[in-house]
Amino acid sequence: MATTYLTLTNEVLRELNEVQLTSANFSSAVGIQAFVREAINRSINDIANQEPQLPFFSAAASGGTDPFYGNVTVASVAGTRWYTLKSGSSSITTDYASIDWDDFYLTTINVSGESAPFVSKGLKFLSLSDWKRYVRDSENADDAKGSDASHGEPRYVIRSPDHRKFGLSPIPDKVYNVHFYAYDVPTELSAHGDTITFPDQYASVIIARTRYYVHQFKENLQQAAFALDDYKTGMKRMKSNLINPQPKDITDDRIYF
Amino acid sequence: MAASQPFSVPLQGGLDRSSNTMELLSKPGVATRLSNFEVSNKGGYRRINGYTQFGDGTRPSSSNEIKGLQVYADGVIATSSTDIFFSQDGDSWLQINKDSVSGSGDNYSTFTGRSTLTRTSQSKGHFAIFEGDTDYGEVVITDEGSGCKPFLFKMTGTGAELSSRTFFAEEITVSGTHYPKFCVIHDKHLVVAGAATAKNTIFYSGTSDINDFTSSGSGSIVLDDQVIGLKSFRNELFIFCKNSIYKLQNINNASTVAVVPVTKNVGCVDGKTIQEFAGDLIFLAPDGFRTIAGTARIGDVELGTVSKAIQPLINEILTSSISYEFNSVVLRDKSQYRMYYSGSAESTANSKGITGTLTARGFEWTEVKGVQAPAITSGFNAAGKEKVFHGDRTGFVYNHDTGPSFNPAGTETNILAEYQSPDFDYGDFGTLKTLDHIKVSLRPEGATDATLRVRFDFDTSDKIQPLDVSLQTNDPAIFGTSTFNGGAKFGAPEAPLIRQHIQGSGHSNFFKIFSEDTNAPYTINGLYVNYRPSGRL
Repeated sequence: MATTYLTLTNEVLRELNEVQLTSANFSSAVGIQAFVREAINRSINDIANQEPQLPFFSAAASGGTDPFYGNVTVASVAGTRWYTLKSGSSSITTDYASIDWDDFYLTTINVSGESAPFVSKGLKFLSLSDWKRYVRDSENADDAKGSDASHGEPRYVIRSPDHRKFGLSPIPDKVYNVHFYAYDVPTELSAHGDTITFPDQYASVIIARTRYYVHQFKENLQQAAFALDDYKTGMKRMKSNLINPQPKDITDDRIYF
Repeated sequence: MAASQPFSVPLQGGLDRSSNTMELLSKPGVATRLSNFEVSNKGGYRRINGYTQFGDGTRPSSSNEIKGLQVYADGVIATSSTDIFFSQDGDSWLQINKDSVSGSGDNYSTFTGRSTLTRTSQSKGHFAIFEGDTDYGEVVITDEGSGCKPFLFKMTGTGAELSSRTFFAEEITVSGTHYPKFCVIHDKHLVVAGAATAKNTIFYSGTSDINDFTSSGSGSIVLDDQVIGLKSFRNELFIFCKNSIYKLQNINNASTVAVVPVTKNVGCVDGKTIQEFAGDLIFLAPDGFRTIAGTARIGDVELGTVSKAIQPLINEILTSSISYEFNSVVLRDKSQYRMYYSGSAESTANSKGITGTLTARGFEWTEVKGVQAPAITSGFNAAGKEKVFHGDRTGFVYNHDTGPSFNPAGTETNILAEYQSPDFDYGDFGTLKTLDHIKVSLRPEGATDATLRVRFDFDTSDKIQPLDVSLQTNDPAIFGTSTFNGGAKFGAPEAPLIRQHIQGSGHSNFFKIFSEDTNAPYTINGLYVNYRPSGRL
């Protein structure tokens, strides 16, 4: 069972030898108890800020919206370059926290009316400056032809300057499904029974970060330094376990004569 | 983490209701609440004993209030309704207010067959014992109803059965129709005063002739003020009035007998609060408990208030809208003075008292709640044992200060005992302290189950306060009477240190130890607290 907000808070309070909270007084906590309770959310945000692409921040399960790839799918529209990354999001505060820009995938598979042979390929990330320098003007000139515009099959994905949209280059000539990976902003814990999205084994990283804040609050700098070390070690292990777990190898592609 | 710091407090000083919170920071051993505890003469605060029914609970006069009690011979005399009774065991009561008793004494059957000498309008009783050379002495009884003459009773014979004894009883005529309220034996004289018809006159009997106010050595003196209490102390008789105190000197010398004022500024609230205690007289004055200390220098009189620590409590009593009835007793083996007070309509549960224990540091005070004692007495019986009895408004007589529980009307009732320390700042009010653990030094007298409560920063509501902690103890070892496997515990310490982990932090905190049960008494000797300074937030 995932660790609850109350359990996490009390674990820190126990270490401090402070009075623990109950489900009854959790929401009305004051003083050090309220500080610990709030520091838990602060710590989770710190972890998300440091490593936003940890798997438990994933916006959805892989393949959830399409059996092929990614956890978000956006359908392109013929003649439209820019698409909001998160459908229905009204501002950057509700957007995804992070996007894997190196992993966009374009396909016509599962697109209504399409049949084999299908388009199915990765989209290369093109920086905004390169896009502006090499392709923007010609694409805009083509698009300006209106119904006579040829558009094309996108090869690049670009990021809008406000980070809220992705663009396709060339401007799509028809409907494609664009799959990519997105990571959510962590949901703030609120009720005592709210559970963390972390596996329990990594709850200690949240606790270490919370201890760091609480010991600072109590002017106990030595303990705060120890807690910070614990946090850094925990982050390193969590990253090693969750982000880079695949085998590491080197391929030699030199040609021998 | 900051190094832990020790802090230990021996509990001494008793209840302190006068010091403000900042003053109390420097007096951690005192208590801000100390109810149903007494200051032990072995140190610390001891939960008081309870009380048990005297005998099988038979009441001397049905449900009529006990107006007065006096330890006498091998039993106790009780006044109730319009009668006076004597009992050895509380199982049966012998009515002793008999008329026409022979001057040479009646045997048991004759005495019980005599007609009743009704004690008209009998109210709060006062007793004086003239030991003389008889087996048990003679007891004189007056009452504040002032509706009848002083009553003299004497019993002789040392047989265990009352049927083997001889009884003497008569009324004493003081002067015409003066029915004095107060009586005392002083230097071979019976001294009476306070009659409704002569409120400011004291009468004294003939020398060694306590039932005759006309014989040689008798006389009377008129004072300025109305008498509300008499007490013989050493070679002087102190006469307590509402606003003044006098002393009668040289009662045996007609030419030099005199009443001289001790003070005309301070009087006594109620004559029932006057007790001879620890070589002094203690009484309740309008400004608190006072003593009259006779010193080595003849004629030098020192007046002093000894209850400054509980002055607010005294003020509450004296300014209460309830008209309290007072009574007091001295428990000699505990060096303790107890005053009980309750309104005439007040329940037993709400009846209160104050105990003052004389220690090397002076008087130390506690409160008592749950003892209704409109009549109370202590004294040494014929066997030389100190006996203490009290009676209530429903007519029951109890063995006072006995047993682990209260037993009003025979119903066992919990004793709610509370000790609360002042806030401890551990020497620095500005530093936040996180508490680690506490060791409570207890001296249990049996299995106990007290509870410890910690409250931070004067019990502020801005802080979540910790849960209560149990201070349960097993039976202590009592060498010589313990029986293994019989419930007693060999090897249990006499005064265990109960260590309990405690939580929470604050700039100051107080401890409260309380129990509400019928378990054995226990003494809290002191507290040891381990804490860690945690910044100055």
